[in-house]
Amino acid sequence: MNKSLKEKLLSSFSDIQIDITEDNRVVINTKKDDVISILTFLKNIGYKHLALISCIDWIEKKEFELVYILSAYMDNDTEYKEKEKTNILVKTKISREKSEFITVINVFTNAEPYERELHELFGIYFEGHPRLTPLFLELKYKTPPFRKNFDIRKYVTDVFDNIPFVEDRKEKEK
Amino acid sequence: MREIELYFGPQHLGMVGNFSITLNVEGDRILKAAANPGFLHRGFEKLMEQRTWIQNFPLVCRINVVEPDPMELMYAMGVEKLANIKIPERAKYIRSIYLELARIASHLFGLWAYSNMLGFDTVAQWAMYHRDLVLDLFEELTGGRVYHIYIWPGGVRRDFPEGFKDKIVKTLHTIGGCVPDYDNTFFNNRTFYKRSKNIGIVTRKEAEEMGGVGQVMRATGMKYDIRKIEPYAAYDKVDWEIPTRKDGDAFSRIWIVRDEMIESVHMIFKLLDKMPEGEVFNKMPNPFKWNIPKGEAYVRCESSRGELGLYMVSNGKDKPYRVHFRTPSYSHGLTILEKALVNESVADVGNIMISLYVTAPEIDR
Repeated sequence: MNKSLKEKLLSSFSDIQIDITEDNRVVINTKKDDVISILTFLKNIGYKHLALISCIDWIEKKEFELVYILSAYMDNDTEYKEKEKTNILVKTKISREKSEFITVINVFTNAEPYERELHELFGIYFEGHPRLTPLFLELKYKTPPFRKNFDIRKYVTDVFDNIPFVEDRKEKEK
Repeated sequence: MREIELYFGPQHLGMVGNFSITLNVEGDRILKAAANPGFLHRGFEKLMEQRTWIQNFPLVCRINVVEPDPMELMYAMGVEKLANIKIPERAKYIRSIYLELARIASHLFGLWAYSNMLGFDTVAQWAMYHRDLVLDLFEELTGGRVYHIYIWPGGVRRDFPEGFKDKIVKTLHTIGGCVPDYDNTFFNNRTFYKRSKNIGIVTRKEAEEMGGVGQVMRATGMKYDIRKIEPYAAYDKVDWEIPTRKDGDAFSRIWIVRDEMIESVHMIFKLLDKMPEGEVFNKMPNPFKWNIPKGEAYVRCESSRGELGLYMVSNGKDKPYRVHFRTPSYSHGLTILEKALVNESVADVGNIMISLYVTAPEIDR
C-alpha cells in the first residue's frame, strides 16, 4: 500500500525524498514551492485529515522545518484498511531570517489555528492567511518565544526580578 | 435589529473552563463567533525543552486537567519509539485498564458539565460522585487522585496492589448499577431531547473538512477510533464495539458518551479476565544520564475527546529538542465550534461547546 503510494508520488513529483518507516509513517522531504501541490495531491487520493502543523527551529542550520502531518478518514464506515494506519509527514525547510511561507487554508480548512499559532510562537508569516491575530499570548515579544534563541532565564529575571518586595514598596510609599 | 458584540466567558455560567468566545449577535441569533483561547497558556512545550526526559513526566499530565492519563501515555510512547524500548505484556493490559478507567472518569466529568449546564443538578451530582469513586481507585493504585504519573517508558510504575482487581469490579458494578437511574432521569428525559436534538449539527462533510475526530466523527456514523485503527496497549487483545450514531447533533454526541462508558466497563472486565502474570516494567538506564537517540516520532492514541497525537524530535541529547501535542480540542474548539455556533441561539452556546467536548487547557497547553 505505502509502496504504491511512494511510486505514485515519485512519478508525479521530481526532487522529493520519501522514507517509509516500519510503523506506517511516510516521511516526505520536499522543496518549499512543492508543498501546496503535494498536499493537494495527497488530499485528492484520500488523505483528508490534517492532524498537525508543527515547526522545528534548527538554529545551527539557520532553518525552520515545517511539518504537515496527514492521515486518512475511513472510506467505509465500518471497515479498517491499511490506509488509515498511515501517517504522512510532509516536511519542508524555510530560511530562519526571512521566515515566510504560504498558507494552506485553501487546501485544509483546519490549518487556520495551527498557522496562527506558528505565527505567534515562531514568528513565521503565512502569506494569504486571513487572520494572523494573537492566539495565546497577551504581550508582544521582541523574539518570538518558541524560537531557540529566546532566553527563558533572562526573560524571567528581567520581568520578575524587577518587581520590588512588598516591604520595600511600602517604605518607598511612606 | 441592531447587531451587538457579546463577550461570552471566561466567567460565565454556561462555560466550563477558562475559554471565551466573542459573539456577534442580532437579538438572540449568533451571526459570527470567534473563539478566544489563551487564558491557560503555560508554555509547556517550551518548558519541556529545558528539562530532562524523565523530568517531563510531571509536566505532561498537567496539559489536560480533566484526563491526564492519555498525555502520559503519549509521552511514554514517543520516548519508547525513539529509544526502541519494548514493554512487557502485563504492562500493556494494565495500561489499557488504567486508560479505560480514565476514560470513564473523564466522561463522567463531561456528563457532569453537560447535565449541570442543562439544569439537571441531580444527575450532575451523581456523575461527580461516581467519578470520585474512580478517583479513589486511582489513589490506591498510584498515590494521586487527579495527576498520577503512572505510565513510564518501559511499562507502568507499579503492579496492582493486592485485591485491587476486586475493587475495580466492585466500583464498576456500583456505577453500572446506576445506569437505569441515569437513563430515567436524564438520557430518556424529554427536556434533554428537546434541548439537544438538532442543535449544533456537524455533518460528515463538515467534520471531514474541519478535522473532526472522536465523538464528532462517530456521531456521523463513522467508526473512527484510533484504538481500532492503530491498536496500542492491549486494545487488539479483546473484542469490543464502537458505538455510533447518525445525526451528528448534540443529542447523538452525548448518547455516544454514555454508550462509550458502558463499552469501557465491559472492556475492562474482559481485560481483567485475560490479564497475564509477570513483570510490569523493563529496567531502564539511569534517568539522569539518559540520552535518547536522534530521530523523530509521531505517535497517536484515542483520548476520551478524540485523536490525541504527539510529534517529538530528539537530537541525541538528554533533553527533548521539540515536543508538540496534537490535541483533539484544538480543531473542535477553534474551527468546528466557530462554524457550529453560527445561526444558533445564545442560550445554546454552552450546550454546543460542551457537547463538542472542548477543554480549554488542552487547546492552550
